[in-house]
Amino acid sequence: MSLGGVLVTGATTPIGERLCRSLLADQNVDHVLAVGHHPPERALPFSHGERLVYRQVDLSRSRAVHKLLFGIARDLKIQVVMHLSMHRSLQGRGSRVHAHNVDSLRSLLALSERHPTIRRLVFKSHFEVYQIQHNLPVLITEDHPLNMAGGAPQWLRDRVEADITACTRMGLSDLEIMVLRCAEVLAPGTGSQLFDYLASSVCMRPAGYDPVLNLLSLSDVVRALELACKSSGTQGVVNIPGADSLPLSECIHRWGRTSLPLPDLLLSPAFRIRRRLRGAQFSYGMNRRRFHYAAVADGTRAAELIGYHPENPIDWPAEAQELGSQR
Amino acid sequence: MSLSPVIARRFAQAVLTPEELEWVDAIPYTNTGHGYDPFGMHPAFVATGLGLFKKLHSSYFRVKNYGIENVPKSGNGILAGNHSGTLPTDGMMLWLDVVRNAQRVPRPIADHFVPTLPYLGVLFSRGGMVGGSRGNVRALLQAGELLMIFPEGVPGIGKPFSERYQLQDWRVGHAELAIRHSAPVIPVAFIGPEEQMPQVARLERFGKVLGLPYLPIPASPIPLPVRYHIHYGEPIALHQDYRPEQADDPEVVNEAAHRVKTAVQGLIERGLEIREGVFR
Repeated sequence: MSLGGVLVTGATTPIGERLCRSLLADQNVDHVLAVGHHPPERALPFSHGERLVYRQVDLSRSRAVHKLLFGIARDLKIQVVMHLSMHRSLQGRGSRVHAHNVDSLRSLLALSERHPTIRRLVFKSHFEVYQIQHNLPVLITEDHPLNMAGGAPQWLRDRVEADITACTRMGLSDLEIMVLRCAEVLAPGTGSQLFDYLASSVCMRPAGYDPVLNLLSLSDVVRALELACKSSGTQGVVNIPGADSLPLSECIHRWGRTSLPLPDLLLSPAFRIRRRLRGAQFSYGMNRRRFHYAAVADGTRAAELIGYHPENPIDWPAEAQELGSQR
Repeated sequence: MSLSPVIARRFAQAVLTPEELEWVDAIPYTNTGHGYDPFGMHPAFVATGLGLFKKLHSSYFRVKNYGIENVPKSGNGILAGNHSGTLPTDGMMLWLDVVRNAQRVPRPIADHFVPTLPYLGVLFSRGGMVGGSRGNVRALLQAGELLMIFPEGVPGIGKPFSERYQLQDWRVGHAELAIRHSAPVIPVAFIGPEEQMPQVARLERFGKVLGLPYLPIPASPIPLPVRYHIHYGEPIALHQDYRPEQADDPEVVNEAAHRVKTAVQGLIERGLEIREGVFR
């Protein structure tokens, strides 16, 4: 069955790039309209003839989004929008970043609802939108409270707002909307806080706590997005868990790092110094509860709605090294 | 706390019998990829817990059980019992008793403050403990786990010596969940722990500073070596008498919880009658 054309925003990110490749490998996809921030010559490291079209678009400008959807997207008969674009840096602040993170989605939703060919929009949201607390469930379902903490950085507030924006439009028009709350993808270029945390050779963590984390591999997130793209006739919010659920200490060990448990009081200033000196992205304040209490995404609804099951674990560097030396 | 499962396993190998090790290895659980279940339980730590505390079970408290055959061998269920003793050793002994004699790992449902306790929270969760939120309990029952719930909660464990064997305010959540998730409730009565550590005072403000509901001041610095008698009653199939949608009816839930409370109270009375002495 032909899927028509698929528009992918955030196409120059590691996830977007892999998703484009994967969609192009499917002959049922007529065109992939890849949208990114980079100029065309630095955009995608592969070409695919006429089936792949790349456009450099600043999504924070609503006029540009309008032009994209009612221009090339209409010409290519785009049926599905895969919205992956989100500002990844914690240092990104202000109205421009907010416009990119939230207003662009609002424009995409409003325009898609009245678009002649678009019938489905998939938004890649984040597991970080959930509140983690000692008295809340460990296994997090889609009705879990969201993190509405007033003091949260814009990085997080924008993600929560975008998620709610997509959810509130569900069922109001013929447009099928699917929100995928993806577990953290432990890979570079994905905005992963944990990836930045694990960049240090010695990883400080709160003494006396060792919460279970759930992590998603690049191949599984791409597979989930592809399944959501093709699950015509379904809509809703689903969690996308990964195949790796393990305690923080084990995660540090498997990444080949040394774990250093410290009293909680020392961690905030220590990570603040690290951020200032090394320009690191990791914010202990934002991850504090996650580093104390277990939180694992429940993927039951994703299995029911889009047939997603986590299959591909992360390729842990320390493990790979150990295996390599054994050979 | 980053005790490796490898070290935990080596310790267990040193202190457990090969048979005990064999069935701990055969424990059915949801392995989420690295040997842990989503709540942090790991069989190597279950084995360690068994190795560390089995002497407490067999030699110190000399636990004697009655009706262990009432604990289901498989499928979901709720063990609901009286709670007392200043320290939650009754929970530990029930866990050990079921692990050793019914060869299942029951999941203790703890009060919300327990996961916030440094080190202890991690150790308990590796052995199967889960924080008492509705979502956690629902997930465990749906996964076919056997839960340990003390409906008296913290007021039970902190009851004054003069109120021993008198059930405190009996919470109803276990009954609601049992009806909703078709789980049998196994009433459990503890005879012994109510006398193990009489409290002479409690410091509430100081306890709050430490993240505890209160700090108990017991008459004895450690639990006395009272003999534990654990009575397991016949399973109460609440789900056969009530429809799942009735779990939303407060009157039905109160009535169902009262049935469980009455069963526990009956077991306590019978247990006290047949007991020959606090230390016997």
